[in-house]
Amino acid sequence: MSLFTEIETESKSIWREIESGEKPFIRIGTAMCGIAAGANAVVDEVKSFVSNNNIDATVSEVGCIGICFAEPILDIKIPDGTRLLYGNVNPENVSNIIDGCLLKSDIPKSKLIGSLGKIIEDNDGISDLLQAPIFKLQNKIALRNAGEIDPCDINQYIGRGGYSGLNKALTEMKSEEVLQQVMDSGLRGRGGAFFATGLKWSFLSKSNAKEKYILCNCEEGDPGAFNDKGILESDPHTLVEGIILAGYATNSSNGIVFVRHGHFGPINKIETAISQAYEKGLLGKDILGSGFSFDVDVSLTGESYVAGEETALMDAIEGKRSMPRSKPPFPAAFGVWGKPTNINNVKTLAYIPSIIEKGGEWFKNIGVNKSTGTAIICLSGKINNPGLYEVPLGISIGQVINEIGGGVTGGNKIKLLQTGGPLGGVLGEAGLEINIDFDEMAQAGAILGSGGIIVADETTCAVDLTRVLVAFCQYESCGKCFPCRLGMSQMLETINNIAEYKASEQDLEKCRRIGGAMQAGSLCGHGQLGFNPIRSALQHFKSDFDSHVFEKKCPTGGCESEYHFPVSTKPYGSSNSPNSEPINLVLNGKANQ
Amino acid sequence: MPNHIELNIDGQLIKAEPGTNILQAAIDAGMYIPYLCYYPGMKSFGACRMCVVEVEGGRGLPASCTTPVSDGMVVNTNTDTVKELRKDVMDLLISEHPHGCLNCHRVDLCGPADTCLRHVSVNDRCVTCPKNERCELKDTVRYLEMDLDTNFKYNYRNLPLKVDEPFWDMDLNLCIVCARCVRVCDEVRGDNVLTLMDRAGKSLIGTSTGNSILESGCEFCGACIDVCPTGALVEKKHKWAKAVTTTSTVCNYCPVGCSIDIEVDSRQKVIRTKSQVQSPANHGQLCFKGKFGMEYINNQNRLKKPLIKAKEGFIETEWDEAASYLSNKLTEYKGDKFALIASGAGTNEDNYIAQKFTRLVMETNNIDVCTNVYPELVNPLEETLGFQAATNSIWDLENSNGFVVMTANLTEEQGVVGVPIKKALKTGSNLVVIDSRETELTRYAKAWLRPKPGTEAILVAGIIRVILDESLDDHEFLAEQCKNVPEFKNDIWSYDLVKVSEITSIPQNDIQSAARIIANSNPCSFIYGLDSLVSEYPSEYVKSIINLALVTGNMGKSGSGLYPMFHGANQQGSRDVGCTPDLLPGYRKINSESDRKTFESVWGISLPDKKGIGISGLASRVKEGYIKALYLLDGDEFITENDINSIIDNRDKLDFLVVHSSFSNALTEIADIVVPSKLFVEKNGTYTNLERRIQLLSNIPGKGEDLFENWEFLSKIGSNMKVDGFSFKSSSGVFEEIVSITGIYSGVGNKQLDSGDVQWPWYPDKFHGTSMLYEGTEQKFKLSPMNLKDNNLVDYELIKSKERPFLYAPGRILHDSSRKVEIEPFGKINKLKVDQVIEISPEDGRDIGVIEGDRVNLTTDTGAIEGVVSLSGPHKGLISITSLFGEIMTDLSQNKDPRAISNIERLNITTANVTKIT
Repeated sequence: MSLFTEIETESKSIWREIESGEKPFIRIGTAMCGIAAGANAVVDEVKSFVSNNNIDATVSEVGCIGICFAEPILDIKIPDGTRLLYGNVNPENVSNIIDGCLLKSDIPKSKLIGSLGKIIEDNDGISDLLQAPIFKLQNKIALRNAGEIDPCDINQYIGRGGYSGLNKALTEMKSEEVLQQVMDSGLRGRGGAFFATGLKWSFLSKSNAKEKYILCNCEEGDPGAFNDKGILESDPHTLVEGIILAGYATNSSNGIVFVRHGHFGPINKIETAISQAYEKGLLGKDILGSGFSFDVDVSLTGESYVAGEETALMDAIEGKRSMPRSKPPFPAAFGVWGKPTNINNVKTLAYIPSIIEKGGEWFKNIGVNKSTGTAIICLSGKINNPGLYEVPLGISIGQVINEIGGGVTGGNKIKLLQTGGPLGGVLGEAGLEINIDFDEMAQAGAILGSGGIIVADETTCAVDLTRVLVAFCQYESCGKCFPCRLGMSQMLETINNIAEYKASEQDLEKCRRIGGAMQAGSLCGHGQLGFNPIRSALQHFKSDFDSHVFEKKCPTGGCESEYHFPVSTKPYGSSNSPNSEPINLVLNGKANQ
Repeated sequence: MPNHIELNIDGQLIKAEPGTNILQAAIDAGMYIPYLCYYPGMKSFGACRMCVVEVEGGRGLPASCTTPVSDGMVVNTNTDTVKELRKDVMDLLISEHPHGCLNCHRVDLCGPADTCLRHVSVNDRCVTCPKNERCELKDTVRYLEMDLDTNFKYNYRNLPLKVDEPFWDMDLNLCIVCARCVRVCDEVRGDNVLTLMDRAGKSLIGTSTGNSILESGCEFCGACIDVCPTGALVEKKHKWAKAVTTTSTVCNYCPVGCSIDIEVDSRQKVIRTKSQVQSPANHGQLCFKGKFGMEYINNQNRLKKPLIKAKEGFIETEWDEAASYLSNKLTEYKGDKFALIASGAGTNEDNYIAQKFTRLVMETNNIDVCTNVYPELVNPLEETLGFQAATNSIWDLENSNGFVVMTANLTEEQGVVGVPIKKALKTGSNLVVIDSRETELTRYAKAWLRPKPGTEAILVAGIIRVILDESLDDHEFLAEQCKNVPEFKNDIWSYDLVKVSEITSIPQNDIQSAARIIANSNPCSFIYGLDSLVSEYPSEYVKSIINLALVTGNMGKSGSGLYPMFHGANQQGSRDVGCTPDLLPGYRKINSESDRKTFESVWGISLPDKKGIGISGLASRVKEGYIKALYLLDGDEFITENDINSIIDNRDKLDFLVVHSSFSNALTEIADIVVPSKLFVEKNGTYTNLERRIQLLSNIPGKGEDLFENWEFLSKIGSNMKVDGFSFKSSSGVFEEIVSITGIYSGVGNKQLDSGDVQWPWYPDKFHGTSMLYEGTEQKFKLSPMNLKDNNLVDYELIKSKERPFLYAPGRILHDSSRKVEIEPFGKINKLKVDQVIEISPEDGRDIGVIEGDRVNLTTDTGAIEGVVSLSGPHKGLISITSLFGEIMTDLSQNKDPRAISNIERLNITTANVTKIT
C-alpha cells in the first residue's frame, strides 16, 4: 500500500462518516462574508444548542458557498440525507431551525432558502437550489469544496478527493507529463493577463538552477474582488496541492504564498493548511516517497496595491519597498532573490489539482475558444445577489448579472458595470451583451481582470464614480516611474475639477494627453492602464462629463452631495498624512465613514 | 573586447558588449540619448522614461536603459513618437519642479552668474537653485526643445529646506525622485542611508533611520550629491559658487589614489570635488576626506615666504637667500649626523630628489618618509613573493568570494577600498575580520575574531594549522608553486588549536569556523594593516598572512589579492623611488655592493654603504644626540603621522632643524628655518597608489605659483652645494630620470601617464603594465616559518601602567540599529549624541567592582570618556568602546584647522583606566 493510499483511506472513511452517515452534519459559513454578517454568533449558538440538547451532530465551520448575500448561512444535512440551506440566520433563529430539522422532523420554512440537491423525503414548497440558475449556471472546479468542507480539516479535503491529483502526478507521471497536461488544458493565468500557464511554466522548467520558486499571488487589492481570498479561506488545500504540482512540473524547490496583510482569515487558513500538509508528508523532503522535495511558505505584503504586480511582489517578498522591476530580466531568469521564479494567481493554481486528476482534455472542453475552463466572478454593487460564482467561460455578462445576480436592486435600471478592478474601467449597459471570454472582452475594451464585477444603477453619476476610481489608482501608484507618479496626480486633480464644475474642455484634452503618455511610457501595468477609468467613462458616459463641464451640473446629483474623498489629495506639507485616512470605495459619491 | 555584437542606432553601426543595454552602448559610442534616472556604473532603474526609444520589430517604446542590446538590432532614438512621449513626461515633471530658470524671458540674455530680482516668483528663480546651469534636468529640457507652454497645473511642494546636516544640504523641492541617490547609497556604497519614502505623487527621498543622515549611518562620501541630476542634493559649503576651472588630479589623503576633479571659482577658491566614473583607481567614488576635506586649500593662513629664525624671531626672506643660507648651513652637517624625513604624500619627484639629495649631497642614507612607520608592512612581501607591493588591483576585489581583513580600519583610512569589498559582500561573498576593535566592516563579517591585541600572528598561524589539519589547503598550489614547505609545516605544528586558543583568547570553534570560511571562499583576498598592532613582531605577522594566502592557493589570480594598507598617499611611490634608509630606487639594496655600483656609475658619485636611520629609529637617535641636523620635508604630514613630542622635547639636542610646511604648526615654531611648501593641488608630478598605479597630478592654474615644489627647492640647494645631477627644469624631467633608473617604471612616458592605466612593472616591449602580479608565472613562492622568540608576543606588563592597567581598543562604525542615538543642535548643525557603551569583561568588572549599567569614566592618555558598562568585553584585560562615525562629523565640518581631517583620531590600541562614577 502506498503512503498516500493509507492517508486517503483514513480520510475517506472519516468523510464518508460525516457526509453520508446517519449523523446530522451542520455547516456554518465563516468566511469573510459570513463573519461580516454575524456568523460567529451563529456558530456559538449552534454549538451551545447542540450540546445543551445532547444532539449527536457534526458541526463544521466551512468556507463561502458563494451566495454571500444570504450569509450567515446555516447548512444542515438531516438524517435522511437532505441538505437544507437557511439564509440570513440570526442566533435567535438557530434553536427553531435545529429543533425543527433534527428533533421534530418538521422542517421550519422561515429563513429556508432551499435544498441542495433533491429532497429525499417529499417535502412541499422546498425548491432544489441546484436546479435554480444561481447554482445551475455554475460549474465549480476551483470552488468545488467551497462551503462543502471545513478548510481547516485536511481529512475533509482528502476525503473529497484532495491530493489524489498530487499522488497521481508523483507516482504515475513524470514532471514533463504534468506540464504537458497543463499545456493541453489551455489554462490561462487568471491574474488578469491571461497568459498561457503551461507556456509560462515551461520557461521555468528549462532552468537547471537548484533553487527555483513558485510564487502564488494573493495580493488581491482590487476593490470588488474577493475570489482569491475566497479560495484561501474556503479551500486552502486546493491551492497547496496546486502549488506543489506547479513545483513538480517545473522542478522547483520552493513555493511562497504571498497574501495581503491584515486578512487574518485567509492567512490563518493557508498557514494551517500548509502545516497540515507538512504533517501528512505532502510537503517537505521526499514527498510521498517520490524523491521530490518542495517547501511552501507564506509571505505578507505591506499596504500596497502595486505589490500585486509580479516583480513588485518579488521585491516585497525580499523585504524591499515594493516597486515593479524592469523587464527583462524576466522572473523565469531572475526572480525572487535573483532565482528563477514563476508567479501564478491563486485561481490559476487552484485549477491544477482537478486538471491533473481529470486530464487537460477535460478542462479544455469547458469554456469556449481559447478561453478554457471557468471564470470566478465576484459580483457586488447594486445587485440583488452579490456573491462569489464560478461560471463556465463563454456565458454572457448579462446572464451572470440577471440570472445569477438576480438583477439590479430596487428595480432600478442598470447604468454601468465596473469590471477587472479600478484599472479595468467601466462598461455601459451594452456590456451585458459581452460574453465572458478573455479575448472577446479585451476586444470590447473591457477587462475581466481578476473577476470582480461591480454594478451601478441609474442613480450613479459616472464622473463621481470615475473620480473614486482615479483616486484609488493615484493613491496606489508606487511612485517609481515618472509618467504614473506624476500623471496620476494631475489626472486626479482634473477629475476633481470636473466633479466640482471647475473644468473646461481643455482639461479633458489634458487628461487624454496624460493618459497617452502613461499608457506608452509607464513601467508597469498600473500606469499603462491608469487612464482606463477616465477613457472608458468618456467612451460610455460622455454626456455625464459634458453636463459637468458645460452645464455645470451633475445629472444625478451625486457630485453635489457632501463628498468624502477616499484619500487625501491635499498638497505637500499639509498636516494630514494620507495613510491615516482609510480608502472606502463607494459607488454613489457618499463614502461610508 | 571579445564577442562584440553590432547594432544600429539612428543609422550608425556601433559595437557593444553582449549583456549591456542600449543606453550604455550609445553612451559608450559617444551618442546621446536623454536620461535622468540611469547612471553609468549603476543598475538600470527604468523610472524616468526619458531614454525611451523605438526598436524595429519590437513593441511600444521601451526604455533603452532596461533593454539589452542584441545583434543586428535597429534602434531609433529620435522618432516623432519618442520625442512626443519624452516631452509629455517632461511636461509632467516640470509641473512640480521650479522652472523659472527655463521659461524666464531673460533666459537667453542671462549669463550663468547673473542675478536679477524680478521676472519670476521667488521660489522659482534660477538663483535659488544651487545647480543652476549644472542641472541635468535643464539640459534635458533644452535638448527636447520644449516650448514650456503647458496647461498642467504647477504644484510647488513648498517643503522646508534641510540645511542642518554637516557638509550636506537637501532641497526636496528640487527633487525629481529619480532615486539615483538612494540607489548609489545602496548598490554602490552599501550604506542605505537614504531611502524612498511615501508613495504615489508624494514619493520622495528620506533617511532610513531617524530624521538626520547622522542617525542613519552616513559615511559622508558624497556619492548621492555626485549623482544628483538636480539641485536637490548639494555640498553645503560654496553651494552657490560657480566653477571657472576644473583641475583633474589625484587626492592626497590616502594611498588609494582617487582621481578627483577640483572645481575652482573666479576667486581661486576650491569650491567642490567630484570624481568621474571612468577614474581607474576609484571608479568615481570618493570618501569623506576627498569629498569634503579640500576646504583647507582655501585656508588663508598659508606660509608664503621662507622664514629664518633670528634672535628677535622669524625673519621673512627671499627664496634665493633662504636657499643659500641652507646650503651654507647644511655643509656643516654632511654625513650621518644629518637626517631627512620626506612626506608620504610627497610626489615621486619630490621624494626621488629628497633621497638623491640626502645621499649625494648630504652623504648619508638617513632618509625616509614619515608614513613609513612599519616598513615590515611590505618588506616581507619581497622575500616571499617578489615585489614589495599589493598583488592585485583595488577593483579586482569585486571578484573575490572571500575577504580576510586584518587589523585595518580601511573604510576610514583607505575609504574607497571598502567600496568593492562591500559590493562583493552584497552579492554573497564572505568576510572574516581579525581585529580587536570594532570597525565598520565587522558588522558584515561571517566571522569576527577579536584576539588579545598583539597575538594576531599566532591566530593566523592557528588558522593555517586548522586548514592543514582539515586538508582544506590547496595541495596542488603548495606542491607546485611553493618552496620551503617542510620547514613551514614543521613550524606550524607548534600552533595547535588548544595553545592558539589559549594565547589569543579566541574559542577553538571560532578559529575553526573562520579557517573553513577562508579556505572555502575561493578566490579570497587578504587585506591587512598594522593599525592596531601592539606586537613587537610585525614582520612575523605579515609573513603569517602571506603564508595563509599561499596555503589557500590565493596568488596570481583574479580575486586573490594581498593588499597591505599603509598610510600616505604616495607611500608606495616613495619606496619605489628609494626614499627609504635601506633601499635605492627600484628596490635596489643599499647594502648590496653591486646595486650601489649601478647607481654610483649613473650618479657619478660614491654612495654611503651603511643602512640609514629611518622614521622608526629617528626619535631615539635624536634623543641620543646622534643626529644633529634634521630636515623635515613636510611638517604638516609629520605631525599627523608621528609623535612630535619626541622632537619637541629633544629640540635642544638638534643643532639645526629645517621644516617645510604649508601652514605654521608646532614644528615650524621650533625650526631654524621654515620653508613654505606647495599643496598637492599646486604641484605637478606623479603619485603611485597602493595598486602600483602611477598617476599624474596637475596644478590648479595660477595657484601657488610663487612657491617651490620640494624637488625644485632641494635641487636648488644641491646645485648651490656644487653637486651635479640637480639641474632639472621640470617635474617631468625628474620623472624621466626616475623612469630611466628604477627599472620597474622603465618605459613609462607621458603618453602612458595620460591614459591613466599604468601599473608597474611596465613592459615597454609589450606596451602594458601589470594589474596583477605573479599571474601565470612559474615562479616559486616562499613559505616562511615564523621566527618568534616566545609566544607572548607582547609584554603587556611593559605597556600597562598602574594608572592605566587595561588595554583599550577603540572602535568606530557607521550605524548600529540597536544603539539609541539622539540629535542635538550644535549651532545650526545637527550633532549626534550617543551614550557610549564601555565593554568590560565580566572578570574585570568583578575586579573593579562595576556591574552592567554602571556609569564609569574611561581615561586614556588623551582624555576621558563617560559611558555605561556592558559586561560583554571579549577578554580579560581589554576594554573597548565603539563610537559612531557620525559623532565626529559635526565638529569636523566646523573645524577651521587645515589639518582637521588628516588629524582625526585613529583607532590605535592604547592603555586606559576605568573608574566608577558615584
